[in-house]
Amino acid sequence: MNLGQALLDQQVVDRSGELMGKVDGIVLELREGKPPRVARLVIGGGTAAHRLHPRFASWLLRWRRRWGPTNDRPLEVPWSKVRKIGIDVKVDVDAAQTPAFAWEHWVRDHIITRIPGG
Amino acid sequence: MSKLLEIALGLVTGIGGFLEAGSMATSAQAGAKFGFQLVWAIVLGTICIAFLVEMAGRLAAVSKHTLPDAMRERFGIRFFTVPLVAVVLVSFLVLASEIGGVSLALQFVSGVPFRWWAPAVAIAVWLLLWAHNFSVVEKGASILGLVTLVFVVAALKLHVSMTDIGSHALPSLPRHDAAQYWFMAVSIIGASVSPYLFYFYSAGAIEDHWDESYLGVNRVIAGLGMGFGGSVAVAVLAVAAIVFHARGIQIERYDQLPLMLADPLGRWGFILFVASLGIACFGAALEIALQIAYLVAQGFGWKWGENIKPRHAARFSLMYTVVIVLAGLLIFTGIDPLKLTIFSMALTALSLPVTVVPLLILMNDREYLGDNTNHWVANTAVLFVSVLACIVALVAIPLQILGS
Amino acid sequence: MTRELRFENMIGKTVRNSYGRAIGRIEDARLQPDGDDYLVSHFLLGPVERILRVKAFLGELPTFRALGIGSDRELRPLPWEWFDLKDPDRPILVALEGSG
Repeated sequence: MNLGQALLDQQVVDRSGELMGKVDGIVLELREGKPPRVARLVIGGGTAAHRLHPRFASWLLRWRRRWGPTNDRPLEVPWSKVRKIGIDVKVDVDAAQTPAFAWEHWVRDHIITRIPGG
Repeated sequence: MSKLLEIALGLVTGIGGFLEAGSMATSAQAGAKFGFQLVWAIVLGTICIAFLVEMAGRLAAVSKHTLPDAMRERFGIRFFTVPLVAVVLVSFLVLASEIGGVSLALQFVSGVPFRWWAPAVAIAVWLLLWAHNFSVVEKGASILGLVTLVFVVAALKLHVSMTDIGSHALPSLPRHDAAQYWFMAVSIIGASVSPYLFYFYSAGAIEDHWDESYLGVNRVIAGLGMGFGGSVAVAVLAVAAIVFHARGIQIERYDQLPLMLADPLGRWGFILFVASLGIACFGAALEIALQIAYLVAQGFGWKWGENIKPRHAARFSLMYTVVIVLAGLLIFTGIDPLKLTIFSMALTALSLPVTVVPLLILMNDREYLGDNTNHWVANTAVLFVSVLACIVALVAIPLQILGS
Repeated sequence: MTRELRFENMIGKTVRNSYGRAIGRIEDARLQPDGDDYLVSHFLLGPVERILRVKAFLGELPTFRALGIGSDRELRPLPWEWFDLKDPDRPILVALEGSG
């Protein structure tokens, strides 16, 4: 299995099957004399923007900090919580309790619910 | 839903949903200006979109991924941004064209200029999506879309013969106005091979939980649906050829357009023209707005769905709302909807390689398609049309802008 | 002693040998399961020159390959222990090419 092919940019799904983002980053633990170990998956929080262009990402970050939810930061999922890798990556977390849904909830509470029928 | 019913519905959608602002405008203008000569462009475009729609369906059924989802996974975020931006921009212009089309239809009926209708049309489109029951709306729009078959009726009434059409089904060189000819040709191809069609189709296949047992259904819907739909576009061109070109009438103003059907069919022709324009464009507007939201949501892993309450898919719902508002605003500025439509079609053709090559690469990747990768004919046909359309567009678009 | 680095930032970095010569570009990493963990066994390297990368990209379409425009996407797997990743922006190949 290849890391980039099987994990990076894959859809992430939480324990109740909710779509919670893409694997935007992967943290490798480098150990002396031992092979690097996949330590954590990183989801959202501007990680994808950083891959596009670091300067664009920091500009974007300023706007996010200014106007967005307070808990807007990348979600790091420890490898121990990864349950299955296949069509998507299933992780044992509750997306609603994590920063993965920070913007989803912010948009819902500040915009969607203010529109009739939302 | 039984497979037979799916096929029936898919065919109705393909036929009733093929015509929209782009195909109507480009086919009508082509017929008026060049008679039957550009039938081949519709044929080529239809073959290409039939292949592409089938591919999108097969990708969804076998890999269980929508197209944007698979593209992000396969190519990574950096590469993905290119087709993402291209398709969003082009689709946005097409969405505005559709809203313009509905607004024009209302202008024909009421006399009130189209720009004043734009906000109402945008709100109507938005409301139907906000009501989060699109699968019902879609079926309704498809069935209503069958009104566009009036063009086939008109063509028959005008004694359009199969020889008229058949003799121009292969590409030919223009006898006059070469720059305009090729511009119309690429616009027709752009109108037929609209990315929103196969992106939307792939989302639908996933929502309907298609699997490998649907590959046959997929082929029938794509082939026959697009095939019959393309015939309706040919009918539009044929009618315009006889009503306008044969009499030397140039289309200079919109209000000449309803003449296409009013001439052969009288008062009913006018009513059905307006109904066709309004319904076809409205249906397309719904699909395109959803498709843009799908593209972004599926590319970034957000929740999405045509029947989800807005509060349960907040970012996705915000996305289509923003896009509809901006598109409505664009038409409200009073920009010429006909010119916008034809220009968007040419731009679509220009951007084809960017939108099509990633899909083709995916379709040949065994990791996604297993044993169901593309046949070389499909690869070659689609690649050939896309690259050729892009190259011709690169020359024809600047010439058209300079010429007008 | 452990350090961490981000895999997504490694992709596209040119790997040089101790003489400074460009060996390849990191494209992916092969994983080996070890109990509940996944360990990197090899880093997969692709060509450095842009033209070769474009050829490899085009080669993913059978039509281009048949026309001779594209080439096969061959990634070379090199064992993890051959890499010095002290500076994540400048990976160095410490083993001599052809050895091991």
